[in-house]
Amino acid sequence: MISRRTLLRGAGVGALVVAVPIPALAASDELVPNVFVRLDDSGRITATVPRPDTGQGVRTVVALMVAEELAVGVRDVALEQAAGDTERYGSQAVTNSTSVRQLATPIRTAAATARCLLVTAAAQRWGVPVAECTARDGAVRHPRRGRLAYRALVPAAAALDPATVPVELTPPEKWRLLGKTRDGRVDARDIVTGRTRYGIDSRPAGSLVAVVARPPWIGATPQSVDDTAARGLPGVVDVLTLTTPADGQGGVAVIARSTHQALRGRDALKITWGGGTPAADSRTWLADLRSALPAQSPVTGFERVYEMPLLAHAPMEPMNATAHVRPDGVTIWAPTQDPGGLRTQLARQLGLPATAVRVETTTSGGAFGRRIETDPVLEAVACSRRVGAPVQVLWTRADDMRHDSYRPMSVHRLSAEIGAGGVPVRRAHEVATWGLTVLPFFSNPALIKASGDHFPYGVPGDVTVTVRPAPLRTGFWRAVYAGQFVYAEENFLSEIGTRSGLDQVALRRSLLPADSRLHRLLDTAAERARWTRPPARGTHRGVACLEEYGSAIAVIAVADPSARRVLRVHAAVDVGVALHPSGVRAQVEGCVVDALSTVLGAQITVRDGHVAQSSFGDYAWARIGQTPEIDVTIVQSNAPLGGLGELAYPPAAAAIAAALAGEEPVTGMPFGTDVG
Amino acid sequence: MARYTLRVNGERREVDVDGDTPLLWVLRDELGLTGVKYGCGVGLCGACTSHVDGEAARPCVKTTAESVRTRITTVEGLSRDGDHPVQRAWRELDVAQCGYCQPGQVMAAAALLARDPDPDDAAIGEALRDNVCRCGTYPRIRDAVRRASRIMREER
Repeated sequence: MISRRTLLRGAGVGALVVAVPIPALAASDELVPNVFVRLDDSGRITATVPRPDTGQGVRTVVALMVAEELAVGVRDVALEQAAGDTERYGSQAVTNSTSVRQLATPIRTAAATARCLLVTAAAQRWGVPVAECTARDGAVRHPRRGRLAYRALVPAAAALDPATVPVELTPPEKWRLLGKTRDGRVDARDIVTGRTRYGIDSRPAGSLVAVVARPPWIGATPQSVDDTAARGLPGVVDVLTLTTPADGQGGVAVIARSTHQALRGRDALKITWGGGTPAADSRTWLADLRSALPAQSPVTGFERVYEMPLLAHAPMEPMNATAHVRPDGVTIWAPTQDPGGLRTQLARQLGLPATAVRVETTTSGGAFGRRIETDPVLEAVACSRRVGAPVQVLWTRADDMRHDSYRPMSVHRLSAEIGAGGVPVRRAHEVATWGLTVLPFFSNPALIKASGDHFPYGVPGDVTVTVRPAPLRTGFWRAVYAGQFVYAEENFLSEIGTRSGLDQVALRRSLLPADSRLHRLLDTAAERARWTRPPARGTHRGVACLEEYGSAIAVIAVADPSARRVLRVHAAVDVGVALHPSGVRAQVEGCVVDALSTVLGAQITVRDGHVAQSSFGDYAWARIGQTPEIDVTIVQSNAPLGGLGELAYPPAAAAIAAALAGEEPVTGMPFGTDVG
Repeated sequence: MARYTLRVNGERREVDVDGDTPLLWVLRDELGLTGVKYGCGVGLCGACTSHVDGEAARPCVKTTAESVRTRITTVEGLSRDGDHPVQRAWRELDVAQCGYCQPGQVMAAAALLARDPDPDDAAIGEALRDNVCRCGTYPRIRDAVRRASRIMREER
């Protein structure tokens, strides 16, 4: 019997609707309804996916969970992507690697409740004990009475009082779908045929398109706008100056009938810009962070400073949003990481009841933290309000690269007292960085420390964080602050190990409790990497670990430093029970490629007041030919279900840098290039 | 504005646009072929990769005027039912994450296999070098191109 309060009601004639509250990760008495699993009187099963799919695969996991518990095939479950509605669904934010771990129990419970009601209805009809009945392939079966299809049972099941029906989740040893390797993404066919509709593909009929002339240097605002030429061009409908922050980041929008006409209109604007910081330079910012560190580190012995760059999100689908503002409300079509939060924000900002704001959640072409922000939506709302028609605001790639919310720069000074055997016995990690401007309370040093500091090894010491004012927009980037902190800490430990002539795996094992998850994962990764054999001539290996988001991972990278080439990456990962193993491996693989990209050279720099990079030609994201073989081993454990979207990035970056460095010290990211 | 006749996915399609309009925007905005993805607009990311006269090309850096009298195939026209060997291999190996770059990856891979039925890693790396995937599906793409090659051999 599931102890969690289960709500159940019939919706319409003969439909069975199960709604189960979603608990917050932390224990809370708040009731946060509803996740729906619906069976209509034709037996059709529909599951609502409350959170957006940004590539993390939540739609697939929801389909698998519902199909598992209802004893049907995954293709028998139709999916509906939930519109923004926190009243109904609780938090819909794809953040902090929580999608699957927060949804698993409620959604499995909802589907299992439906199954148990159907089985009970069949047992009652047959006059047999419930225990003699089983659900399989869309029907309830009994050894002597035969079978009853779900569709024949829906009205009777909907009429039952759920409080009288014990609900049992299908135990893992009986799983047919969850935890198996054969099922791929439910949307795979649509993706490879071009049918998947992302935000950029979700214009309603009659939509106009807007592009925005954005500040040519950081903080600039339009002083005067001559739009005569732009307005004279074919297809241009209107030109609108956007103010900050109500309308997003600010600029001048050209609204036209087609994308090309809007782009041409933007080119024809004559804008005088003023204010801001036209001389800004990221090298100066890095120097400022260096000088923000205390004069002396609290631990004397061995010391190393690490410098970390700005990074852009650069999802493949450029920022966009479509809005239709009507007298009685507004409808949004957006690739967002948080449709519920977006709806709440818009209702507040526009002075509308939440019921007058509809946020249609589209699939996102990547997100990586950028789509938790709402600036493109605010632009679209301003444009649509102006022209009274639906407007899609489309960012060009250069807009995206130059007006992102960047991962903050940081400088890390690591120091350690080295004891007998060359092992660190006391440590200090001093950080100077910026907060996240998109969420001002994220400039609190304690919060930054909590976000980044996950040092797992038994070396006493402390982390201190100095926060300087951010000189440009900063935001959430996959593995928020952990990416920077863990990179510095693991590379520092690697350098100590190298200097002391220690085996990197043995060093880490000696600093971890023998019964810890990481200890076991290190063993697995080492076995996969054939660690005890000496590395091939000319190759070097790097090791790093992370336990966070409720999961744990050990990574070993093998590289050829002279060719600046990563050959193999072995990862052993423990998420508790892997519900969708292919999806688990995919998240690790993706983090490894992010790590490869940022260690090998992708960084954002600022010169003459603006971001120097504008596209994938100069933001050097890794390409297929640079990608190593990636070997992911899933280690099952009894731990509660953990998160995975961000876990592998920090240790993969550290292990890759250590492997590429060979005997050389790592001093920053990217490795072997000037930072900033 | 002028009228242009394009041959897209085996059909003649007429559009009224300026001749310098990038083919990308004609395919997406005028013809509704939104499987052709916008990623950079300057030929650097490969998201819009389609076939022009059977070879991989970037509609974002081709004008409408220069595209008349060429044979254009978008991902929507690669196969009738989504079962081109490349599309099948992509599904079998569960390649996609967000999926946004994958129509371009699929089209680049199909063009590669049409001229080199059995590419090695170096050939795959070269042909798909400028098809960026921000989710990091590259190892699976590499495996899927090999799988598609095998499917094509077995079914020849």
